[in-house]
Amino acid sequence: MFKRIRAKLDDMSTIKRLCERAEAHALQDQQREPGAEHFLLAALDLPDGTARLAFERAGAEPDALKGAIERQYGDALQSIGLTGNAPDEMPLSANPGAYQAAPSGQAIMQELAQTRRDHAPLLGAHVVSIVAGLPQGVAPRALRALGVDPAILKSSADAIVGTSVR
Amino acid sequence: MDDLRNIAIPTDPEEALAAVVALRRLADRIERAAVRSALRQGWSWSRIALALGVTKQAAHKRLSDVAADDGSA
Repeated sequence: MFKRIRAKLDDMSTIKRLCERAEAHALQDQQREPGAEHFLLAALDLPDGTARLAFERAGAEPDALKGAIERQYGDALQSIGLTGNAPDEMPLSANPGAYQAAPSGQAIMQELAQTRRDHAPLLGAHVVSIVAGLPQGVAPRALRALGVDPAILKSSADAIVGTSVR
Repeated sequence: MDDLRNIAIPTDPEEALAAVVALRRLADRIERAAVRSALRQGWSWSRIALALGVTKQAAHKRLSDVAADDGSA
């Protein structure tokens, strides 16, 4: 009983950290509402290290993800014939009031919540698995720009989750 | 300078939609840079809002932190 309560508190602490880091990554990316790609970056920051491990086992460099996110925007503009540099980044402040994620970020949180019973405990690899399973959007495009197959990354994350025990 | 007449919309919907997302993000960045420049040149929020085609309240709500950066909020 005590162990279960303790585990729930640990998960809540992980979710809080995940949301805070996702928002910080979004603001650095000039967006107020974190999307799936920002939750993926946040998962890499989690101290359990499983998100980073999933990337490494899939042959991807975790620290290169941020650059790949930026690169896929440039690639998308190039696909319509636009080239050039965006204006310098300017500091962005967080939304006042309740925490608000972008739709892709909301989808990650909802799936995490729906599969909570499977999570023992909540790990960065769970987030990686969900994000790597997204069919469209900035996150899968960034993974491809990083040179990693999202399906392989998902398998890698799922294998790590499978070996975690409470 | 890119000639906008040369913009070719990709036939692959994924590529075309990704370009839309990237353009919106670029527009947001240009907007923030332009508003900061306008504030530094003494523009009022009413004038900025008129130029952006939005209400003063909407402009201020979305972009007031640009003013804070500039010390003119």
